[in-house]
Amino acid sequence: MLNKALIEDVLQAALETGGDFSEVFVEDRYTNHMVLQNSRLEKNLSGRDFGVGIRVFHGLQSVYAYTNDFSRAGLLKAARTAAKAIQGKKDGKTTIIPLLKESVTMLHPIKIMPTEAAKSRKLAVMRNANDIIRNYDPEIVQAIVNLIDEEQNVLIANSEGKFVEDQRVRSRMSMVSIASDGADMQTGFYGPGAYQGFEFIENLDLNHYAKESARIAKTMLHADPAPSGKFPVIIDNEFGGVIFHEACGHSLEASSVAKNASVFANKIGEKVASDLVTYIDDGTLENEWGSLNIDDEGEKSRKNVLIEDGILKGYMIDKLNGRRMGMESTGSSRRQSYRFAPTSRMTNTYIAPGKSTPEEIIADTEFGIYAKYMGGGSVNPGTGDFNFAINEAYLVKNGKIEKPLRGATLIGNGAKTILDIDRVGNNLGHGAGMCGASSGSLPVNVGQPMVRVSEITVGGKEA
Amino acid sequence: MSIEQLKERLFAEGKNVGFTDLELYYEKKESLTIGLYEGEVDKYDFSDVQGASVRGLYNGKTGYAYTEKFDEDSVEFLLKNAVENAELIENEPEELFTEKAEYEEIQFYSPELDTVKPEEMIQFLKQVEEKILSYDPRVKKVTTSQMQNQKFEKGLFHDKGLELKEANNFLLFYVSILVQENDELKSGFTFRITKDFKELDADAIVKEVVEQGLSMLGERNYPNKNYPVVLKNEAAASLLSTFTSSFSAQAVQDNRSRLKGKVGEKIASDIVNLVDNPFLPAGIQSATFDSEGVPTRKLNIVEEGNLQTYFHNLKTAKKDGVDTTGHAHRGSYRGSVEVSPSNFYIEPADQSYEQLYEGLEEGIIITGLAGLHSGADPISGDFSLAADGYYVKNGKIVGPTKQMTVAGNFFEVLQDIEEIGSDLTFSPMSFNGYIGSPTLKIKGLAVTVD
Repeated sequence: MLNKALIEDVLQAALETGGDFSEVFVEDRYTNHMVLQNSRLEKNLSGRDFGVGIRVFHGLQSVYAYTNDFSRAGLLKAARTAAKAIQGKKDGKTTIIPLLKESVTMLHPIKIMPTEAAKSRKLAVMRNANDIIRNYDPEIVQAIVNLIDEEQNVLIANSEGKFVEDQRVRSRMSMVSIASDGADMQTGFYGPGAYQGFEFIENLDLNHYAKESARIAKTMLHADPAPSGKFPVIIDNEFGGVIFHEACGHSLEASSVAKNASVFANKIGEKVASDLVTYIDDGTLENEWGSLNIDDEGEKSRKNVLIEDGILKGYMIDKLNGRRMGMESTGSSRRQSYRFAPTSRMTNTYIAPGKSTPEEIIADTEFGIYAKYMGGGSVNPGTGDFNFAINEAYLVKNGKIEKPLRGATLIGNGAKTILDIDRVGNNLGHGAGMCGASSGSLPVNVGQPMVRVSEITVGGKEA
Repeated sequence: MSIEQLKERLFAEGKNVGFTDLELYYEKKESLTIGLYEGEVDKYDFSDVQGASVRGLYNGKTGYAYTEKFDEDSVEFLLKNAVENAELIENEPEELFTEKAEYEEIQFYSPELDTVKPEEMIQFLKQVEEKILSYDPRVKKVTTSQMQNQKFEKGLFHDKGLELKEANNFLLFYVSILVQENDELKSGFTFRITKDFKELDADAIVKEVVEQGLSMLGERNYPNKNYPVVLKNEAAASLLSTFTSSFSAQAVQDNRSRLKGKVGEKIASDIVNLVDNPFLPAGIQSATFDSEGVPTRKLNIVEEGNLQTYFHNLKTAKKDGVDTTGHAHRGSYRGSVEVSPSNFYIEPADQSYEQLYEGLEEGIIITGLAGLHSGADPISGDFSLAADGYYVKNGKIVGPTKQMTVAGNFFEVLQDIEEIGSDLTFSPMSFNGYIGSPTLKIKGLAVTVD
């Protein structure tokens, strides 16, 4: 993408004012976005993102500059602009180590590159999903099918001699169904994605995903308002893991731990979760949506056990926060694009499977809420307070699923909720999502088997 | 290759490959973001970026493509992709606006912001942090303190001759803190958006953010029930921004809006006026032309509770047989032409924030809402959200509520607005338009407290 000699000059220029580490990140990305709505292809967009990010460290000080002027003059200007902001005591290393090309082990085989599959083939799959949704029930009034695929080529080089290139390929199809009885409208959603090419789209089990999307919308249209109060809550697998992603995962990222802004800071070896909980971040899971070969600092992705049987084992760490903490990188540094300095982020994060069957967990619940599909949510990083919407909820009474509920929101505190898990199922599943934080919006998997939390506050319309 | 060079080659070669109409849209952005953490500069990001998008009519269909790489191959890349995309699209073609039109002559760009030095920004951040930490012993830390100086330019060229350019800039400041008393940990935050660095008042910011944080300490439980609610300006603005898409003609035509068929009808209480004003001097979305090049204008969307119009672009207007309202919008050159408001707000009235709750025998003040992207359904209007706020008894604030949720329906809230404050403010977080509201008094909402 850029030649080695030019990159060496840029890395060197970035250290002119005494920085002790410099890095160049080059990105060339092709994105394709199609939207089928009203049973026709309404959006068909494609394009190319291209740019360069230059980072300089001086101790714990970090400066970032990015541009899409990739001329020699443009890159040297950006490097020197960054260097100028290093409040220059010239005490760092001033020469870079010559770049040596590393090879990347491809963990995630790609069969059909997105650019090699004709758009008409993609559209055919989208139409199938649309037909399944619309034929599901007369109350389904709209289907919105999104297909996004991309090829991201990156080059990462730094003053320590690292020079590595990688290609990331991702595909995702999301299906929104809208059900209406004339007055009221409710939506259903399913959005599977993978670190794969068109083979992922072509092989998607639409009879499951598209139909589920329609079924959720229809079910919620005839659901009663959720009650309010404190109840045991059963959260099913796959995207159900979003609660622990937000409420615990973010607090295990070095970006909050290094600044002592996390409830898990300085607690390695201590009990932080229920004994039933083992929590893992693993970027090496083959072809999963949040997977990587190397992170955005060029470190190999790996399996990091964060919590084991309730005991805190480790964090997700990037280079800069590693310096702050005196700890090594865990291959967890990510960024949305060249427009963001990288920081520690999740890849595929999940609660490991336990022993209970889903049927046992429900049968064992006298009165509570069953969250079959979770929606999104957010967490206040300082306090750990979270809120989440349930996309499809049910009332559980005397061990039986009684009736669907709408408008249920879960609120609570992450550090407390993970201690209150009293059942972990054996049906581990992963769900694709986009995670937004300081280094941008990233593809991540959240996952878990069915879990039960002994008590969470549910906010519904029935006060 | 410059934008002008790209434009000339694109228009010339585009004709050869069969485009009958061509448009080039571009954006340039420069910014400096500085963050401070515990007295040290913790973030220092420069950017200098641009991107361009072609939109054209090919065999009577619309094709789009964009690039951030400007080189010899860009023209071919753009045209090849635009052709491919046009061949498959099934929409009615989009119309390109090629008329000669009159545009407001307003300069939104503030040259003063070009003179703000990075050292001054750091100095200000340090001053705010020090003042916050010494304001009250219950302040635990300043979690984020950032300032961004951003300028951007957008432009639109047609092969039929239209050439439009506009620049804007602003300074964004954001600070969040943690306060603690015993085991209770609470956060506070505030922000400023300005075109005048000297207008930033460190003491006022410090007082506001610390007192807001401290006022959340001492939380208690209160009975769960339907309370009269005072929805503070920022919370009201964030709620309105979540449901703004309902006012888009695109959403109406796609059956994604409950306001379908409601033009001319009463959709809000009599005292509600909703205004879209693209000429607000400090509005982030201020512009004299929209993304299709149509001149913008100030418009009343709701007058005394009656819906006057939806937001339109050329395409939605044609479909409804009306004139465009100048609300074509592109999120960036990566996206297509959509519909979105500019600076859209509930018109302020005359009551102060205090006056709005003084009359409450018993009620809840909501100061902030969380989870709007997940706990609210933009189509049905239903919401169930985590909220911060206070319990009010006999017209006085008793204290903050423990973990609270509030549930209701946006379209019912519009009907249930009983009084409107004078304190218009805008939500910094919205993606579609710059959305504002004063504090609102609402008849009732379902509230649960822990």
